[in-house]
Amino acid sequence: MTTLVLVSHPQLADSTSQQFLKESLPSQNVIWEHIEGQAKLDVAQEQAQLRQVDRIILQFPLYWYAAPAGLKAWEDTVLTRTFVYGDHRYPLAGKELGIVVTTGMPEPAFQRGGAEGLTLDAALAPLAALAQRAKLTWLPIFPIYQFSYLEEPEKLQLVVDYQRYLTQPQPDSLANRQAWFAQRLVDKVQQLPAEQQATGQLIASVFDQNREHLDQLTDTLAMIKEQEDD
Amino acid sequence: MTEQSEWLRQQIDQLANQQEKFTDRAFWLALKQVVAEQDRRSEQLGGEVDGRTWRPDRW
Repeated sequence: MTTLVLVSHPQLADSTSQQFLKESLPSQNVIWEHIEGQAKLDVAQEQAQLRQVDRIILQFPLYWYAAPAGLKAWEDTVLTRTFVYGDHRYPLAGKELGIVVTTGMPEPAFQRGGAEGLTLDAALAPLAALAQRAKLTWLPIFPIYQFSYLEEPEKLQLVVDYQRYLTQPQPDSLANRQAWFAQRLVDKVQQLPAEQQATGQLIASVFDQNREHLDQLTDTLAMIKEQEDD
Repeated sequence: MTEQSEWLRQQIDQLANQQEKFTDRAFWLALKQVVAEQDRRSEQLGGEVDGRTWRPDRW
């Protein structure tokens, strides 16, 4: 699966959250692009890229309940009517659209009665409508509230949550989470220094055993339920 | 929490602390969360299997 991360930020170098996310990018199967960083948008190239990937991530800070102007300019330039749905071809159909949005206000602000009085889902409704029009599958959004207030354990968690949002199959179930980690564990163990390899292998094997055990329990339970239905 | 899972979590913590790269540390610590979730789910499913098998009305 290939993921395209389109970042919109007028001053990317000054943004600690965007720099953090860039450092956290998975090492494979991700294309990263900074919209405002391009002198001129090459429409054909942008469209070709969109056709090629499986998941599209729009990543930006929330400015006045919307994406920065750069993203809107990108939409208006690249997502032409003919490209998105003209001639009923829908080249983006079946791909996924995810949103990584950073906010300066805390989570409780984004609800009715909260300081902003608006949910992020409501604020980003135009993008969801765009997804629907293009027959893209809308993923639950990935909000990052007040990045600068995050403590180290939260930042550590954010690294992997973000990587999974970019590359893990949806929905975010335990089965999909386990599969995501299992896929990476072998490489991660191999990358360990020699003296840590044994511990790494042990952890990986217990993880696999746990996973198999859960599968067995799920099967047993399904069998019992089936019998109960009879 | 079983003794084995407690031991495993310690192993993961130790390994995570030895990683120089922030993203590597993040990976192992996130794995620990998944292992904890595996434990919880396994306990719940095990309980449900027991509960559903224990059917005196079918004796």
